Amino acid sequence: MAIHKPKQILLVDDDQLFLKLIERVFKKSGFECKSAPSAEAAIELLKKGEVNPDLILSDYEMLKMNGFEFRRYLMNDPAFQDIPFVFLTFFSDKDLMEKGLDLQAIDYVIKDTPINVIVSKINNILFTVDKQRELSENEVKKAAKSLNIKSIPIKAPEIQAFNVDFWHQAYHDIPGGDFIDFIKVNNRYNFIVLGDIMGKKWMAWFFTFGFLSYVRSAVRFAAFNNEYSTAKILQQVNSIICFDEVLKDILSSLSLLLIDSETNKITYSGAGDLPLLHYRSESAELNMISSSGLLLGLFAEGNYNEKEIILKQGDRLFIFTDGMIDFVDANGKKSDYNRFSKALKPFIAKENNFTEIVSNLFNHNLNEQVDDRSIISIYKN
Amino acid sequence: MIEVYNELSDKLLVKLDIKEASLENADAFKTEVIELFDKYKRSIAIDMSSVEYIDSSFLGSIVSALKHLISFKQEMMLVGLNKDIANLFALTRLDKVFKIYSDFDELSK
Repeated sequence: MAIHKPKQILLVDDDQLFLKLIERVFKKSGFECKSAPSAEAAIELLKKGEVNPDLILSDYEMLKMNGFEFRRYLMNDPAFQDIPFVFLTFFSDKDLMEKGLDLQAIDYVIKDTPINVIVSKINNILFTVDKQRELSENEVKKAAKSLNIKSIPIKAPEIQAFNVDFWHQAYHDIPGGDFIDFIKVNNRYNFIVLGDIMGKKWMAWFFTFGFLSYVRSAVRFAAFNNEYSTAKILQQVNSIICFDEVLKDILSSLSLLLIDSETNKITYSGAGDLPLLHYRSESAELNMISSSGLLLGLFAEGNYNEKEIILKQGDRLFIFTDGMIDFVDANGKKSDYNRFSKALKPFIAKENNFTEIVSNLFNHNLNEQVDDRSIISIYKN
Repeated sequence: MIEVYNELSDKLLVKLDIKEASLENADAFKTEVIELFDKYKRSIAIDMSSVEYIDSSFLGSIVSALKHLISFKQEMMLVGLNKDIANLFALTRLDKVFKIYSDFDELSK
């Protein structure tokens, strides 16, 4: 479920009185407003990350840097060039307006227009921008669907002696950096992959495929050579990523598990991932299982180790991304692993009740979501 | 976003003045750290005591700024992490990657 934040407008004008007046009206109409008395001050706010506006409304005539120079500056910076930009001007000079629109400003507003009309105009512009963005996203979603590329599988695998389930919720319903894969080698060996690219939304989502293809190839090569070491596989993936020109500045966590259905043994290696939670049915305890490995793409030597986990009947293992431990309270956003573990424990029953846990615990607090959330459960029959 | 506290001969002491470190300010943070480094060419210790939450995008920016400093054989130290963030660093082994101090006093000892 999307959380609708108020739209933020950055107002830029050296006329302090007008700035105060227009700010008051925008705020009254439900906008979040930031104002800057000059283009230079606006650039500083943007660069420092103190504003992240949905739209910039800037005067044309300002001392030092004028509105056109300001717009040209923003157009040369990839971080700001796509922020919708509207000119405010006293002139109804046609040439001036044309020049402004050549700078890909969305529109211009004459300053002596009644302020309420200016607000309505900005509202309409933002609505159109949103609509356009939604259409583009839908196009990308459609294209991805038709190419059959998925960073999250449709269903869980069937693995002898175990029940594997998973749940995934994309942040704001846009595919993001979490990825899951189940790789069946044969009836004996199955790999489980859970990763989280550091980033959100589309950008992170595009990189998941690069990571996933390396993980898949490394797993296949290992299986081909009869080498079933999760630590070696992670080290191999990490080495490749550290050399990959495109991926080397992108970091990802990864949990890699190998289930051996013959010995009922699970081998686990992690790269900067959160510790797994192991529920022991006998003692009704929920314990952490940590690994030593660093994030993929961090250093050429990732220090990956291997943990052996034996699940007894009724035991289970939870593997999850950091979005699961994030939450929002009255004081803002927080990450708390222990809080998640404590919340989860009372929901775990003797039999495999993953669907119930999902509907009672995870689906329940969707409004608290601040990132992609993914969790995999392995239950021993 | 970043305020310079003190310029020591071997390192720069700075403060990150935000409450929520997230996707929205992650890129700006990385650019500022790299600009500071290009200007001062020395290790950077960042006071993070104002930060209450860090998302994975921002963590990515911190780590990638660290990689930049390491490539010039300099370090990045983190100072005054709150309990939740320190715990997150420990859980994901990032505490092995950064030098972490409780405050600037501990750092200068």
